[in-house]
Amino acid sequence: MNFILEGIKKGIILLFGLNSEVLVILRLSLWVSMLATLIAVLIGVPLGSIIAIKKFPFKKIIIALINTGMGLPPVVVGLFVVLFLSRSGPFGFLQWLYTPIGMVLAQVIIATPIITGLSLAAVQSVDPRFYQQILSLGATTTQSIWVLLKEIRLSILAAVIAGFGSVISEVGAVMMVGGNIKGQTRVLTTATVLETHMGNFEIAIALGLILITMSFIVNLALTFIQQSREKQK
Amino acid sequence: MIKIENLSLGFSGRLDLFVDKLSIEEGGIFTVIGPNGAGKTTLLNIIALFLKPDNGSIEIWGENILKIKDKLNFRRKTSFIFSQPYLFNETVHNNIALPLRLRGRHDTGTIGEMLDLFKIGHLKTNMAGTLSQGEKHRVALARAFVTRPRLVLLDEPFLSLDMRFKESLINDLRKVIRLNKITAIFVTQDQSEALALSDTMAVMMRGKILQQSSPGDIFTRPATREAADFVGVETIIEGRIFKKEDNLCFIRIKDKILEAVSVYNEGDDVFICIRPEDVVISRHTDSSSARNHFNARITNIEPWRLGYKLNLECGFNLAASVTGQSIENLNLKINEEVFVSFKATAIHVIRREPRNDTI
Repeated sequence: MNFILEGIKKGIILLFGLNSEVLVILRLSLWVSMLATLIAVLIGVPLGSIIAIKKFPFKKIIIALINTGMGLPPVVVGLFVVLFLSRSGPFGFLQWLYTPIGMVLAQVIIATPIITGLSLAAVQSVDPRFYQQILSLGATTTQSIWVLLKEIRLSILAAVIAGFGSVISEVGAVMMVGGNIKGQTRVLTTATVLETHMGNFEIAIALGLILITMSFIVNLALTFIQQSREKQK
Repeated sequence: MIKIENLSLGFSGRLDLFVDKLSIEEGGIFTVIGPNGAGKTTLLNIIALFLKPDNGSIEIWGENILKIKDKLNFRRKTSFIFSQPYLFNETVHNNIALPLRLRGRHDTGTIGEMLDLFKIGHLKTNMAGTLSQGEKHRVALARAFVTRPRLVLLDEPFLSLDMRFKESLINDLRKVIRLNKITAIFVTQDQSEALALSDTMAVMMRGKILQQSSPGDIFTRPATREAADFVGVETIIEGRIFKKEDNLCFIRIKDKILEAVSVYNEGDDVFICIRPEDVVISRHTDSSSARNHFNARITNIEPWRLGYKLNLECGFNLAASVTGQSIENLNLKINEEVFVSFKATAIHVIRREPRNDTI
């Protein structure tokens, strides 16, 4: 029992005296997950909106596939990304394996279905007559989607928060694709796993606290954006 | 001229809409009246290119719109007003400016004009979410007219409004449509809205147009039994207020004078509506304190609702409902003379546009 309390104490001290090694890990974590979320938003939000609005064959099957993708196990994603990026794999020539770019790719694959699926559900929950109203005001398809998304920005921001949350906390895929190389591909989650394995509980606790704090700060910022818009109503 | 021909649409083997021929004059308000589920909204959705019919053609401005590739260009010359205002979570001004922004146009003063016309200038900077239902409808109308559309489609736009707001809104709406010589297709199930706005009308039921004519004609001479059941429940007569004392109006109808309570003024052209159950039939005069009494001749007796409906001729045509008991007690027969009376408060007065009105 004592070692837990001791660990938390040391963890907090470490937390405030951020050493350069931890800073490198922290920066990479943020960089990889934010970039992955951004790319997933750029793909997922328009894709989800178009699927929600347009009528086309096999629409329900496509939606079911996206919904399945929302629960993709990160280890499976990691496995396939490794297979594709490995030297003998089809994209081996890119030499992305064990690089941050490979990790971003894996996280994009995890976050995109989540953001697509939640955006799709958000757009589908809008009264179809509301969309017709936008069209009848003289909007092109692109304009109408933009106006609609602005109207449901709260739900879209919730989708972004969910997407970011899924990748910042994910360990399986970054471990496999990145390889947890110190100073290069080591992020907060993989570092926490490593330190726990090695019995350095106080460092593991410190890393865990940093991860939670950072996640909280990013979500706090997103929530502030979300709720300040809400107040104007 | 807007010409609709052989338009049909069916869902799952059932024919929901069939309009074999319908012509609509440009620069006027054309009303389609009918009960819920008659296909009125379906018709509007087809004209707005939201629904694709199975067959038929709609010619607008010399072109079959069902065949056009450039839906956007057509939509930008029309406006669709729904029964819900569907405002955006922005200020009133931004809501009205949106159609201009979507077209990449700058405001040349039309926003201010619309704010004035619909009396919402004082709300310009308010967020749409803070408005009352009546104000929201005014904003939606201002937004619909800011682009100066050539054609407006109105789908029961006053459905969720109470009478107080409705009357002034109808007047403002009529003004903007007349002033800009816009063609309007207006869909409703409400008789007083139809009477107050229409130049010409059609009755629609079960997906078909039963009758197309002037408002007065439709209400007084419904073409079929079905149409009569829907619209012909009241006596509706055209008249003009020639004198007013307090809120008591004296209305001239042909050579007769009726007394009614209403807010309208001397010189106004009106429709007066009398419900059959408000008309009292008697064998002797002076039997009631009602303001209006006339000698009348029974022209028809037919079963109606739980009793009977009498058609009466008393200088104008009047419908009255009576119970089977009264028919027996008063020994009512076709061609017999009786006395009819009704109170001044029993008359519902609706202002109408004078005929051959030119602006």
